[in-house]
Amino acid sequence: MIEKIKKGTENPLLMLANEAYSVFSSLSFEIATGPELESEWYNFDVLNVSKDHPARDMQDTFFIKDQKEKVLRTHTTNVSARAIEKAGKEGRLPCAFISIGKVFRNEATDSTHEMQFFQIDGTMVGEDISLADLKGVLTHFYKKMLGDDVEMEFRPSFFPFVEPGLEVWLKFRNRWLEVMGAGMLHPNVLKNVGLDPKKVQGFAFGGGLDRIAMVKWNIPDVRLFYQGDLRLNQF
Amino acid sequence: MKISYNWLKWYIPEIPEAEKLQDVFTYHLCEVEGIEKKGDDTVFDINILPNRAHDLLNHLGVARELASLLNIEFKDPMPMYKIPETKPTKLKIKIETDKCRRYMGRIVRNVKIGPSPDWVQKHLESIGQRSINNIVDATNIVMYDCGQPCHAFDLDKLASEMLIVRQAKEGEIMMTLDNKEIKLTASDMVITDEKNVLAIAGVKGGKLAEVDENTKNILIEVANFDPVSVRKTSKKINVLTDSSKRFENDLSPEIASYAMREISGLLFEYGNFDFEEIVDIYPNKQKLKKLSFSIDKISKILGVIISEKEVVDILKRYNFEYKNKNGGFEIDVPFMRLDLEIEEDMAEEVGRILGYDKVKPKIPKIDFKPKINDTYAKISWARNELLNDGYSEVMTYTFCNKGEVEVLASASDKKFLRTNLSDGLKESLKLNQLNAPLLETDEIKIFEIGTVFLKDKEEINICYADKKEIKEMSLEEFCKNVSPDTFAQVLGSPVQDSKNERAQPDHSQKHTASAFKMWSIFPFIARDIAVWVSEEIKSEDVEKVIKNSMGELVIRGPKLFDQFKKDGKISYAFRLVFQSYDRTLTDTEINEIMTKITNKIKEKNGWQVR
Repeated sequence: MIEKIKKGTENPLLMLANEAYSVFSSLSFEIATGPELESEWYNFDVLNVSKDHPARDMQDTFFIKDQKEKVLRTHTTNVSARAIEKAGKEGRLPCAFISIGKVFRNEATDSTHEMQFFQIDGTMVGEDISLADLKGVLTHFYKKMLGDDVEMEFRPSFFPFVEPGLEVWLKFRNRWLEVMGAGMLHPNVLKNVGLDPKKVQGFAFGGGLDRIAMVKWNIPDVRLFYQGDLRLNQF
Repeated sequence: MKISYNWLKWYIPEIPEAEKLQDVFTYHLCEVEGIEKKGDDTVFDINILPNRAHDLLNHLGVARELASLLNIEFKDPMPMYKIPETKPTKLKIKIETDKCRRYMGRIVRNVKIGPSPDWVQKHLESIGQRSINNIVDATNIVMYDCGQPCHAFDLDKLASEMLIVRQAKEGEIMMTLDNKEIKLTASDMVITDEKNVLAIAGVKGGKLAEVDENTKNILIEVANFDPVSVRKTSKKINVLTDSSKRFENDLSPEIASYAMREISGLLFEYGNFDFEEIVDIYPNKQKLKKLSFSIDKISKILGVIISEKEVVDILKRYNFEYKNKNGGFEIDVPFMRLDLEIEEDMAEEVGRILGYDKVKPKIPKIDFKPKINDTYAKISWARNELLNDGYSEVMTYTFCNKGEVEVLASASDKKFLRTNLSDGLKESLKLNQLNAPLLETDEIKIFEIGTVFLKDKEEINICYADKKEIKEMSLEEFCKNVSPDTFAQVLGSPVQDSKNERAQPDHSQKHTASAFKMWSIFPFIARDIAVWVSEEIKSEDVEKVIKNSMGELVIRGPKLFDQFKKDGKISYAFRLVFQSYDRTLTDTEINEIMTKITNKIKEKNGWQVR
C-alpha cells in the first residue's frame, strides 16, 4: 500500500507573509528582498535618521563587533529604500515595492516584545501618489487580511523618514489597535536615493506582521513564532 | 506627559469637556495614553510627538495649540506677571563653551523660604509632582507651565557672585541634590562658581548650592543648552530629569526671556524680595525663519483639494504672519515652532488640523510592471516542495551562543548570529519528537528557510530534518536544477494553492479553526490500550466505550494505531494522551482512569483487554 504523504504544516507567521505578498502583488507591488545585516547608511542615514537620533543608540540597535557602520536592520524600510533607488536608476517610475522580513531590536523580551520579529514594509513613488492612495492601499490590505468589517484610520504621528507622519489604527473585534507607522516619504529620503522631490512623491508604510498574526488568531505570545514548536502550526 | 485640565482652563476658558478633549488630542495632535480623574481635575497623560517636543511639553504650549486648533479664546498670561523694580547687580556670568546658547541669571535677595501658595501646590500635585518649598516650586511651575527648565542656587553658598558655564574637567565630581556622587568627563557641560561644580547643565543641580530652609539670597538660572550634549550626558550618567528631557528635545532660546519674566513675577507675588537686574548672555540670537508653500502642493500630498480659504483660516488661527500670492504662501515661522522647516511640514499641519478623515481612500492605478523577485520565487518554490514532501515549517532564533558575527551590547546572553540552521533545527526536532504524541503526525519532519551569517557575508539556507538525517544547503544549491519557469508558476497564486492543498480530510478538523489554541505547559502522559473483540465488532464501537469512560483529561485520542485478526477475533489498539492545563498529572490518577476504562470494557460480553 502506498501511503499518501501528508502535507507538512505551515508556520502561521510565514503563511500570513505569503498572503500579504499576494494581496500587494494584486495591487501591482513588486516583491523586494534585501540584507538582514545592513549598512548604517541604508538602515538610518538614507531614511533621514540623524547621526545622534536616539534610535541609533546601542540600547536599541544591534551593532556588530569589528564591522564598522553595520547593524542588524531595525526595519525592512532599508529594502524599500534600496528598491526605489534601483528603480529610479533604471527609469522604472512610477514604482511600488513590498517587502516582508525579519528585523531586529536590542530589547528585553516578553510576551509582546521579541529581539527578532517580522516587518511588512511598502512604498509607492510617482508623480502624484498621495495620502489618499496610501489610505486606499492599506484599507484594501487589512480588509483582505482581517475581514471586511475591519475599520482603519490615520492619526497624527512622527517618523524621521516621512512627512506628514501618521499612525495607522485598526478597529478589529471592537478594539482599536495601532498597527503601522506611515506617511509621505520625506524629501530628504527621496534625495538620498537619487530622486528629485520636486518631480516625484510617494508614500511609505511599515509595521509588525507578528502583531497582525497575533490579533487575527488570538496568539498570546510573540515568542511562540520562533521556538521551532510544531504545536504552533494550527492553521 | 501629564497635563492638568484645570491648568489648561486658565488659558482657554472655553476648553471642551474632558471626554471630548480626548478625541481632539487623538485625531489632531497626539496619542492619549491615559486619563485620570483627580478630585475636581482631570489629568491627561499625552504622548507629545518628538517634532512637537520643542513647544508642547508644557501647559501653555498645549493650551495655545488647542486654542488655535479649536478656534477658541487664548488668554495670554504675560500681562499678569508684574515686572519688579530692580537694583543694579554685580553678578558675572562667563560662558566658556559653545554648548550653551543662552544664559540668563538674576539675583534675588531677602527671600523667605516657606510653603507655596495653595494653587501652586495643587497644580504640582495634579501632575504628580511633590511640593518642596516656594522657591523650588516656582522653578518647577515655570517649567511645566511654559516648558523652560529653571534652577535656583543659594547665592551665599557660592564662592563669589560669579558663574561659569564650561565643559567639565576629566574626573571632576559633583554631589547631586539626592546625594549621588557623579564623576564627570570633558563631554559634560557644567555650571560652576570659581571653585566647584554647582550643577550639571540642563540635567541636575548639585548639593553644594542647594536652596534650603535657611536660604536668604538666591540666584535664578534660566538657560538654554545644546540638546545633543544634554542628552548624551544624561544618558551616560543615567540621570533623566524633566529638565534634561526638555533640553534634549531642543528648545528655542527665545522662551528664556518669557520664563524669566514668569518666575520673577511669581516670586514678586510671594513677598518683598529684592530683585537685581537680569544678566543675559545670548551670543547668537535665534534667527527668524521664513517658509514658503503652495496650496497645490499641499493638496497633492494629502490627496485632498484644499481651498485657499481653509489655509488662510488656519494661518490666522495659529497667528502666523503670512503673505499670500495666488495660493503661494510665505510665513514667518514662530520661534518656538522648530518643527516647521519645509513645505511638507505645512502639509502635515493642514492635514492634522483639518483631520485625516478628510483623506478619502482610493486605489492607485500606476503604470508599473512588477518583476518577479528571484529570491522570493526560489524560497516559495522550495517551501512548497518541502511542504508537499511532508515537512512542516518552523522558525528558530537567529541569535545563538557561537558564531562568526557578534553583536554588541546585547540585552541577551546569545551574542552571536547563527552560521547554520542545523543547530536550531536539531533542538526543534528534539522538542517536537518529545511532543510527537500531541501532534497529528506519526513522524516528525521539519524544515526552515532562513538567513545565516558568515564572517564576510550572509546567505539564505535551507535545512530539513527527520529522524534519519539533517540536511542543510544554500537556497541556490537547493534550486540549482530548477528552471526559472517553475518559479514563476509557483508565484502564480500562492494563497489559492495552499488553501486547496489543505482541504484534505486529515486536516479538516484543524483548518476550520480560526482561533489559536494555546497548549498546556504541563507534561502529558500517553497510554495504550488493546482490546480483543469478536470479528464483527467495529473499531468505532470500542472507541465509543473508551470515550464514554475516559474523562476530561484526554487531549488526544482514542486514536486507533494498530489492528489484527486471529482465530475469529480482532484486536484494536488505541492510544490516549492525557494532559491538564493547570497541573502535572500523576501516574496514579492515570492508572485509575485506565482501570475504569478496562472495567467498562470487561462488562461487555466477550470483550477482553490484552
